[in-house]
Amino acid sequence: MTSIVDLEAKIPNNVGLRDNKRLLMALEKWQPAFKRWWQELGPSDFNNKDVYLRTAIGVGQGGWAHFDYVKMPDYRWGIFLAEPVPERKIHFGDQLGQPVWSEVPGELRNRLRRLIVTQGDTEPASVEQQRLLGHTAPSLYDLRSLFQVNVEEGRHLWAMVYLLHTHFGGDGRDEADAMLERHSGDADNPRILQAFNYPIDNWVDFFCFTTFTDRDGKYQLASLAESGFDPLARTTQFMLTEEAYHMQTGENGVGRIARRAAELIKEGKDPAQEGAIPLAMLQRYINHWFSASMDLFGGEDSTNAAEAFASGLKGRYREGDGIYKDPKALDQNYSLQVPTDDGRIETRDIPLRRAMNAVLLDAYIADCKRIADRWNRDIDKLGTGFRFSLPDHKWNRHQGVYAGFRFAPSGELIDEATWTHQHTEWLPSQQDRDYVKSCMQAVREPGKFANYIAPPAQGANNQPPEFEYVKLR
Amino acid sequence: MTNRLCYVCEGGDCTEKGSGEIFERLRELIRRFDPQEQRIKIRRYPCFGACEVGINVTLFPDKIFYSTVTEADLPEIAAHIEGKGPPVQRLCGKAQPDVEQIIWDMLDSPY
Repeated sequence: MTSIVDLEAKIPNNVGLRDNKRLLMALEKWQPAFKRWWQELGPSDFNNKDVYLRTAIGVGQGGWAHFDYVKMPDYRWGIFLAEPVPERKIHFGDQLGQPVWSEVPGELRNRLRRLIVTQGDTEPASVEQQRLLGHTAPSLYDLRSLFQVNVEEGRHLWAMVYLLHTHFGGDGRDEADAMLERHSGDADNPRILQAFNYPIDNWVDFFCFTTFTDRDGKYQLASLAESGFDPLARTTQFMLTEEAYHMQTGENGVGRIARRAAELIKEGKDPAQEGAIPLAMLQRYINHWFSASMDLFGGEDSTNAAEAFASGLKGRYREGDGIYKDPKALDQNYSLQVPTDDGRIETRDIPLRRAMNAVLLDAYIADCKRIADRWNRDIDKLGTGFRFSLPDHKWNRHQGVYAGFRFAPSGELIDEATWTHQHTEWLPSQQDRDYVKSCMQAVREPGKFANYIAPPAQGANNQPPEFEYVKLR
Repeated sequence: MTNRLCYVCEGGDCTEKGSGEIFERLRELIRRFDPQEQRIKIRRYPCFGACEVGINVTLFPDKIFYSTVTEADLPEIAAHIEGKGPPVQRLCGKAQPDVEQIIWDMLDSPY
C-alpha cells in the first residue's frame, strides 16, 4: 500500500488532506499563524535570500527530497508519514501482538497528547533559539546548514500539529495554537522544556546542540516510532530521516572546530592566539551540552515511563528489530546506581519497566561515545595528544536520581566545596563565552571559512564546499 | 520470527557513498531466498561511526562487520547469509575494534 503524495496542494502531504475537508480547513487556518510566527521568530533578516535547501517531496526510499534555491518563507512545509505496514502489530508491552491503533484509545488520550505536545514544542523552540545565529555564520556552507535545520524543525512542528488536529479534536487545535504562543525564553509563556529557553547565539553552542540535544530528540522520536499508535509511529519514522542531517551537522561541526585547532597546534601555534577554539575549551562546551541533554531523558526511575511502555505508546530504541530478550520487559530488573544521603553510591535494582528512560539513555550515551571516539581519531592524526572524553552520566545532572548531588566528571561523588572550587575547569566560564563570542565573525565569500573551523570534507548534495549555498546579493 | 539482523549504515558518509542503493540491492538478493524475513531481517542503521571505511554492513549475532562494501560484494554477502558461502573476509577487520564493539554491545542487550 503506497500513499499518494499531493505536492500541488496548499499544504503538501501524503495523508489525503484533499479528501478531508474539515481537517484541511483547520490546517489551512493554522498555516497563516505559522507563517507569521516564522517571519517574527524564525531566522532574522534572511527571509528574502535564496537558500539551497532540501525539501521533502515524498517518503519513498529512492529520492525523497529535492534540492533547489528557495526563499525560506516559500519553503513547502508538508505533512508526510512513512508508508503504512500492512497488518502491523504492537510489538512490546502489555498489548503485544494486538493490532496497532489508527485512532487514539480513550484511556491513553491524555498521556499521548502530552507526549506529542512536549515533542512538538521543542521543534519551534529550537528555531527561536537560533534566530540570530545566521548573522555570524562561519561560511555560506554553514549558513545553509543552519537554515536547513531550521526549516525542517518547522516541518516537524507541522507533523505534530497534524496529529493534534486529526486525533485530538478541539483540545488538539488549542494545543496546536499554543505551540505558536509559547516562545523560547519568554518570561510569562516559555517553552515546556527548560533546555529550549536559552538563546543559542554562537556556533560552538549550535554544533554542540545539534550533536547532543538533537540526538536526544532522535532517541525520543525513535522510541515513538515504535508506538502502537500507528499515525505517531509513521510520522516520527519520517522525521528521523530528516533529523539525521541535523545530527550530522553538529557532529561534523564540532569535529571541524577540533580539527582546525589541531591543525594550528601542529603548526606550532596557539589556537587561542589565532581566533580558534582551544581543545580544552571545546571539551567544556561538550561537557555542558552532553549533561544538559541527558536531563531531557527524564528520571531514570519513572512510573510514567513504565506506563508508556506497558500501554504500547513508547518502545525502546530499535525495539521493532527484535533485539531485546523480553518484549514485555516484565521479569527483569535494571541495576541503577543511586547516591545515598551519607555520601555513598549504592546499586539498586528496579523493575525494568520503570527504567525505560535509563535504558534509552544508555543507548544515547553509547552513540555519543562513538562520536567522541570519532573526533579523537581525527585529531590523533594531527598529533595533538589531546583526547575528548564524555563526563560520567551522573555528572552535572538537574533531573533524575543524580539531581542535587555533586559529582566529578569521572563519576566520583564530591562535596559542594570541591565542586565550587573546580567546576570552572569542567564547564564553560564567562571568560570562555566572551572568547567564543569574539571568534564569531561572519564569513560570506563562497568557499571561505572562519579561522576557527575547518572546511567540510564534502559539500551538501554532492556540491563542492565553495558552492554558493546562500545567495546574499 | 528470526533474531538474525543485517544492518546497512545510512549515516551521512555512507549515504554519500551510495548505501541507499546497497541496502535496496542487498534486500533484493536476500528476498530471493527469504521473502518473509524468516531467516534474517535487513534494516537501515543511522551510523556505526566507521565512516572512513564505509559503506558498512553488519550481521548479528554473527558479529560480522563488513566495510568498504560495494555492489560487487553483495552476491557473496548474500550467499554467506543464505548459508551457501563463508564470510567475506576481505571486507572484515577494517573498522576500529572499539567502534565495532559499540554496535555489538547495543545489539547484545541484557534486556
